[in-house]
Amino acid sequence: MTVASLGSRASRLAGSSLIVLLYAFLLIPLVAVVAASLTAGEFMRLPPEGLSLRWFARFFQRGDLVEALLMSLRIALVSTLVTGIVALMAALASQSLSRRMAVWFQIGMTLPLLIPELLTAIGLLFFLYRIGLGKTVLGLQIGHIVLAFPYCYVSIAAALRQIDPALDDASGSLGASGWQTFRHVTLPLAMPGLVMGAVFAFITSFDLYTVSLLLKPIGGNTLPLALFDFLTYEFSPTAAAAATMSVLLAFAGVAVIQKLVGLQRAF
Amino acid sequence: MSSLEISALCKRYGPAVALDGVSLTAGQGELVSLLGPSGCGKTTALRCIAGFIDPDDGDIRANGVSILATPSSKRDFGVVFQNYALFPHLNVAENVGYGLLFRKGSKAERERRVREVLEQVQLVGLEHRLPRELSGGQQQRVALARALVIQPRLLLLDEPLANLDARLRDDVRWLIRDVQQASRTTAFYVTHDQAEAMAISDKIAVMKNGKVAQFASPREIYQRPAERYVASFTGEANFLAAEVERALGGGLFRVRAGGATLDVRGAGPFAGSAVLLARPESLAIVTDGTGQLEGRVVKSVFLGAVQHCEVVLRDGASVRLGTPPDRPLPADGTVSVRLDVDRTWLMPDAVP
Repeated sequence: MTVASLGSRASRLAGSSLIVLLYAFLLIPLVAVVAASLTAGEFMRLPPEGLSLRWFARFFQRGDLVEALLMSLRIALVSTLVTGIVALMAALASQSLSRRMAVWFQIGMTLPLLIPELLTAIGLLFFLYRIGLGKTVLGLQIGHIVLAFPYCYVSIAAALRQIDPALDDASGSLGASGWQTFRHVTLPLAMPGLVMGAVFAFITSFDLYTVSLLLKPIGGNTLPLALFDFLTYEFSPTAAAAATMSVLLAFAGVAVIQKLVGLQRAF
Repeated sequence: MSSLEISALCKRYGPAVALDGVSLTAGQGELVSLLGPSGCGKTTALRCIAGFIDPDDGDIRANGVSILATPSSKRDFGVVFQNYALFPHLNVAENVGYGLLFRKGSKAERERRVREVLEQVQLVGLEHRLPRELSGGQQQRVALARALVIQPRLLLLDEPLANLDARLRDDVRWLIRDVQQASRTTAFYVTHDQAEAMAISDKIAVMKNGKVAQFASPREIYQRPAERYVASFTGEANFLAAEVERALGGGLFRVRAGGATLDVRGAGPFAGSAVLLARPESLAIVTDGTGQLEGRVVKSVFLGAVQHCEVVLRDGASVRLGTPPDRPLPADGTVSVRLDVDRTWLMPDAVP
């Protein structure tokens, strides 16, 4: 065996171990939380002391947590719907811009990604108080839409860019109106990006913390906020159960993408 | 099915002029080719006809009625795109039937019409394939069928064969010509391939920098080109600098070219210098003393059926011609070349 082939074997080995480490780094927290949520004991601890679902039952017995979960779901759902529609319209509009304008438009649309979340949140706080929506559910909802929007927009705009502009011409020359072309050609072809953008928007909104902290309505709480409050007083596996459910929700989102458009095409 | 008349069409993109006063006509059922190198404006002209872009000036009339105010979706023109532009999410039958969705007719009628056209382009059996599961030639047939299914008043083809390999190109070219003839559809055909244009067209418009250099039948374009550019774009051509001595009348001119005095055809009037076109097939190496030109073979290539020679004439001009492959060339290379004056053509030196 030559030195060179030994070297390439070593580098391949190093490469694969790096990947294994990386995956471990990403996945171990998830595994730990899921394992901790399944414990039969009284504390979050690894390894879990026996297996049970009682901490999930306990979660649903806590009115404040369930209420927060429902609020998070509701807000995430509305955010998804609104960003999905608005981002689609914005991405369609951006296609008729000149190349240079399109770059600026893209930057504008993704601005909430570039500015620290805290700054956006403070800005929104002032703004919402000014227009009389401070500490209201609607105000919080607006904040979530603003922050979920860029993810949705980027995904949809990328999908639209993949569509051959000649298809528009082809559809038009065959007698389709603008709306018919959109319905029969553009929308079906943008669907993978739209679904992925929607899932991104949902997950982003569901996990948002800083914005929710600053904009939360009186008497209302989102799940991340409620969990944080909960953990300051109690360190029971109920929190792990809630986290586990969040993880499952994210996986469900991925499953939706896989089912509707296929992961290969989405990423 | 209609005639089309384009007059003085202009299109500018900023300082660049894409179309500079293009005028063409296509009679009912005719196939007109727009031939030229890339950037000559042929695709821009086609896109104006299709209604994808609006010309800055000029008019386009179908059966005598201007169509400039009509959006492309209302023009009833079938377009075949260079990259086919098939809808990737629809199968063959859905792609072909797409245009029928926006027209009157029941589902059964639509299906019957789709089947009819698929038979015409020999695609029966592939109805349920997606475009990406088809070969290039099959995709091209789908594109053609999709444009034909709406029974267009006009068929517009933008380099339809550019993405096919040489063997398929012939098949699809004949198919296009056949279905165009069978349906008596007027067609415009954009191409940069002169052989393609010759074989398929009733008329050819050779384009140059946004202008029509010549608009005539393939025979006329090849045999009686208006200028050097047209001649060199429509096949192998030798050009000899010629001094016009005088006009003999009846389209004949006495010129000095290639070191000899010749009586040749042309469309005068000429003053002083001109260019004599001699296609390779109008030249032959002879040994019987009938050659008007003297020269020396400087290069010869054996190609099987024919032998290509390059001959330098007495005045220094070089011409390319073919000779029978089994004829030996003289050892010193000195040959006599006969010019078939009925197949030569005298052109103006520079075009105004």
